Amino acid sequence: MSQELNMPLIRLLVVKDWQLFQKQLAALVLAGIVALALLGLAKPWSFYLGSLLLIVVLVAAACFAIGTSLLTERKEQTLAFVMSLPVSPLDMTVSKLAGNLITFGVPFLVLLLGTLLVILGTPLPDGLLTMAILLFGHVLLAYCLSLTVAMQVESEGWNLFVMITSMVLINPFIMLLGQIDSIREPARGNDIVWSTPALAILAAQILLSLAALGYILWRHRRRAAFY
Amino acid sequence: MTAAFAVSGLCKRYPQFELKDLNLSLPEGTVMGLVGVNGAGKTTLLRLLTGIAAPDAGQVEVLGRRLPEAQVAAKRDIGFASEDMRLYRSQSLDWHMQLMRQIYPAWDESYAQHLIQRFDLNPAQALAGFSHGQRVKALLMLCLARRPRLLLLDEPTTGLDPVARMEVLESLADVLRDDQRSVLFSSHNTHDVEQLADSIAFLHRGQLIAHADKESFLDNWRRLLCLGQAPGNLKAWPELAQVRAAGSQIEIKVRAWREDLPQRLDAIGLSVQRADPMTLEDIFVTTVRAGGVA
Amino acid sequence: MHSEAILSHLLLLSASDPRPMYQQIVDQITARVMAGDWRPGQALPSIRELAASSQVSVITVKRAYEELERAGVISTRHGKGSVVAERSEQTRLLLEAALQQHLHEAIAQALRLGLDRNSLHRQLDAALDAHPQLQASEGSTP
Repeated sequence: MSQELNMPLIRLLVVKDWQLFQKQLAALVLAGIVALALLGLAKPWSFYLGSLLLIVVLVAAACFAIGTSLLTERKEQTLAFVMSLPVSPLDMTVSKLAGNLITFGVPFLVLLLGTLLVILGTPLPDGLLTMAILLFGHVLLAYCLSLTVAMQVESEGWNLFVMITSMVLINPFIMLLGQIDSIREPARGNDIVWSTPALAILAAQILLSLAALGYILWRHRRRAAFY
Repeated sequence: MTAAFAVSGLCKRYPQFELKDLNLSLPEGTVMGLVGVNGAGKTTLLRLLTGIAAPDAGQVEVLGRRLPEAQVAAKRDIGFASEDMRLYRSQSLDWHMQLMRQIYPAWDESYAQHLIQRFDLNPAQALAGFSHGQRVKALLMLCLARRPRLLLLDEPTTGLDPVARMEVLESLADVLRDDQRSVLFSSHNTHDVEQLADSIAFLHRGQLIAHADKESFLDNWRRLLCLGQAPGNLKAWPELAQVRAAGSQIEIKVRAWREDLPQRLDAIGLSVQRADPMTLEDIFVTTVRAGGVA
Repeated sequence: MHSEAILSHLLLLSASDPRPMYQQIVDQITARVMAGDWRPGQALPSIRELAASSQVSVITVKRAYEELERAGVISTRHGKGSVVAERSEQTRLLLEAALQQHLHEAIAQALRLGLDRNSLHRQLDAALDAHPQLQASEGSTP
């Protein structure tokens, strides 16, 4: 059983998913710019609003990326159409993974970069950098977990549950960060400090994210057919 | 003669039903019509033939390739359109054609344009605005324009208005010209099967209850109207599928017609007034009601 | 190709016709040949070409061609397609034999119904009236 990947077709499928995502991408980038602008104003009210909007945009990016390429495909039954193309189940898995990571990854990285620039370039205390990165780390982890579930489970209900729950956990996560002295204290100053707890949390986020993605590939490696 | 596909000992189990020990093959350059009630296993069989589904037991060989292992190579030469397939609602037919052009080198642009005209489709319109009939025709067009060696079609004319149905049949008939291209289509419109198929396969509850070339299959069936009294054991005659009596008028549906049957019926007091061929629809319904023995 | 195009268009097949499709093809081609519209030696469309242009299955056209061949109306050259057969007495005799058989069957049926000779004549006249192209009086075919 050859497990060669049909690269040209995978590329096409990824481009297809990217094209389908264009409208949402434009809206997200726009909202993201507004969020960053609000952050950059560095007033208490604008900071609050801006960071809220930023989180909303990040969550939206995750939901749209997973939604359009996986959930909607199943619901609108276009999956059957794609399966009839010269693709193997492994090709599909790879293209969905790659497509998803790209459609989510682009707004994610753009916003991450933008946030870092805003923090460093404006009157905002540079020490916020650590917390900001940890926040993005949480969103990344939540996204990877939701993606893993979405690729395994067809039920829209369960998928929504996982996405919403993991994103809602941002709140308690931020509070948790606030409890840790070595993270809360430097956030007011202009020194960027990476304390051990901060590094540990970041490492855990990245490793768990990679583990989730690796699990997807491992699970789908042996599938001979779609049904 | 090479086989477009050949399945042997095919088994596939689903919670609702199962395909049991199916043996079926399609000679290259011929058309097979698959007939069966909903849930008989037609869609499952088609999925197994495309390599989308893997059998629990048995072999599937399509265009000389083992499935589902070689499904990528096989699908390059297979055109599969099923009832549950949808195109991307937010995109236009042009967008889909561009996708096809990039995937399939055998894409015939002029033929695609010809079909668009004939099917009266608007290539620039988003698929969301297409009616059911237009959607079915669009899917079919995307299949046909590649000129695939094997066409697997699940209910290609179901739900279409009579005019659209005629357009689809005419475009399917074009495939007949090429003796290297084969078609398997399942249909509730038994008339389509009767018209275009070279061979017929009846699927019922996951089993193949009949598989024969169309002309001899239809020749075997007759509907007789007789006068007389039917003896009690008439229904037990194996060549009769159904016997109905209304007074001294007896209607007999024969599944194994022989020239000497009227004589034999005459000998037991039934005089045959007329013997007519039956439509495939009638044969199908009679077979299912007779307990699925054809 | 030109002759094939003409031949295809002259075949008017319909599902509304009660006769089986292969029979319609046989009857129409036979009638044209007997009437002299199609000359001996004229090429018939290939089986697949006729199947595709009339939306009829290949196996049905094949069956029709085989019957026409048996009846001597057409002759098939191996690998080269079919042509209208050279006119021979054989063909006419075969068709007349078939007509006789049909007449015998009609008579048998009439007897079952208890019809007498005159009633059967009346039935025949009524049937002929329903077919205006068949002249009751003599009309010699070319």
